[in-house]
Amino acid sequence: MTDFDVRTDARGIGIVTPKGRLNMVSAKQLRTAVAELVDAGTTKVVVDLAETTFLDSSGLGALVAGLKSARQAGGDLRIARPTQQVVTVLGLTNMDKVLRPRESVDGAFDG
Amino acid sequence: MALVSDGLGPVDERRQRVVESVGILDQAHQERLDRITRMATVAFGVPLASITMLDGELVRFPSAIGMEARPMARRDTFCDRSVRIGGSVVSRDTLTDPRFRDLALVHADPPFRFYAAHPLCDPFGNVMGTFCVYDHEPREFDERDQRLLAEMGAWAEVEVLALAEMSRAHDAQVSMLPSAPIDRGSWHVDGICLPALSVGGDYFDYALEDEVLHFGLGDVMGKGTAAALIGAGMRVALRSAHLAVVHGADLGLVLDRLEQGAASDLDRAGSFVTLFEGVVDLTTGNLRYADAGLGLALLVRADGSYEQLSGGDLPIGVMPGSGFHQHERTVEDGDRVLVFSDGVLDLLDDPDDWMPPLAALLHSADDPRDVLGQIMMLAIDRTPVDDVTALVVCRRPAGRSA
Repeated sequence: MTDFDVRTDARGIGIVTPKGRLNMVSAKQLRTAVAELVDAGTTKVVVDLAETTFLDSSGLGALVAGLKSARQAGGDLRIARPTQQVVTVLGLTNMDKVLRPRESVDGAFDG
Repeated sequence: MALVSDGLGPVDERRQRVVESVGILDQAHQERLDRITRMATVAFGVPLASITMLDGELVRFPSAIGMEARPMARRDTFCDRSVRIGGSVVSRDTLTDPRFRDLALVHADPPFRFYAAHPLCDPFGNVMGTFCVYDHEPREFDERDQRLLAEMGAWAEVEVLALAEMSRAHDAQVSMLPSAPIDRGSWHVDGICLPALSVGGDYFDYALEDEVLHFGLGDVMGKGTAAALIGAGMRVALRSAHLAVVHGADLGLVLDRLEQGAASDLDRAGSFVTLFEGVVDLTTGNLRYADAGLGLALLVRADGSYEQLSGGDLPIGVMPGSGFHQHERTVEDGDRVLVFSDGVLDLLDDPDDWMPPLAALLHSADDPRDVLGQIMMLAIDRTPVDDVTALVVCRRPAGRSA
């Protein structure tokens, strides 16, 4: 089971940090976490993947769902600090085109 | 729907379908039923328990604890009697019970002197079999015991029906895969699909039309029945485009159309699909392909050099309208193509560095069957958590026949 750390920083940007494996089980939690932020008006969300050791297609699905809902609400979802395995999955699926990995959480919404 | 009846009444016929679906249980499935019968022996303090299914003139034991699980003639069994009696049946001493005392089992060594059963019904209320406990000694069975037996029987019923359903869904999915390899001139095509659950979100497909080979592999986000339903739709939609592709339709445009048709379904399901679709003109070796985010296709040349057949396009349903593109290569004599799902990556020592080992495997294998056999062996060794699906297209070296 993945732990989730969800917080909102001083600029009003939501930060979700899944830890461990982001698979079918934990993907649902990620969807819920992002949906709750967006529904509460926090439409800019950073998913910090520094502690995500594994991402499968369900995890990818949760990121895409979060991206869509954030954009529909006028915001965006960005990912920061992905591990090598996550970078590989994003590259194979060409999803790094829409989820471009950012180097830091704080700078994820710069530029 | 069966138009020809096998002579059984409608009740027996319906029961038969469930029994046959449950009939071929593998080890893992049988364990699900054994868990209940084993628990019953502990709960009631009896040496014997079984899940018994009526099967024509036989009874079968999908699960049996403390007794042989071989099929028996129906008329010789407690189960047959208790189904005729109806409802829950308890016989505290079978030797003095006129309903059972003539059964050979009552006089066997050791004898079956105590019997209690709860009927197992299909969703239409037809009795499929019984959940039974037995003892070699007569014994008491109070109201609390009867309630417990009914509870465990209800649990067994749910499991039996779920296994039957899973087995049917699995059969339906398998029946949609190509049934035989293609062996045409110097070309040889084959594939495997090993779902992690009974049904999975992966599919592969291939077909020959006017000396043009279509081959494709898709991986629907998610697992199980929901993913399988979406995959089935994708496959049919792609098949319906085969003829247009033979006549030159651009594969990128085909995928654009596919996404237009599927986008709302995928959006509602919160899903997307990664897939590779290719066509080869068998007379020239001209290969056209489009890759929607699968990224797992290798072209290995006769000399062992290789390249990834990537496309750079997103999975279907991620950003509808982002556009797909067709790419071209030539498959020469002795070249081979492998397309696979990410479940195969889990089988490798280093999933991030998948190209060298898979290219070597593809290059050194005897034929497609050998490639798939080696992948299957890896899957058996490593018990994959995701569906493992692979498709191989080989063009034999010039001058070599089958």
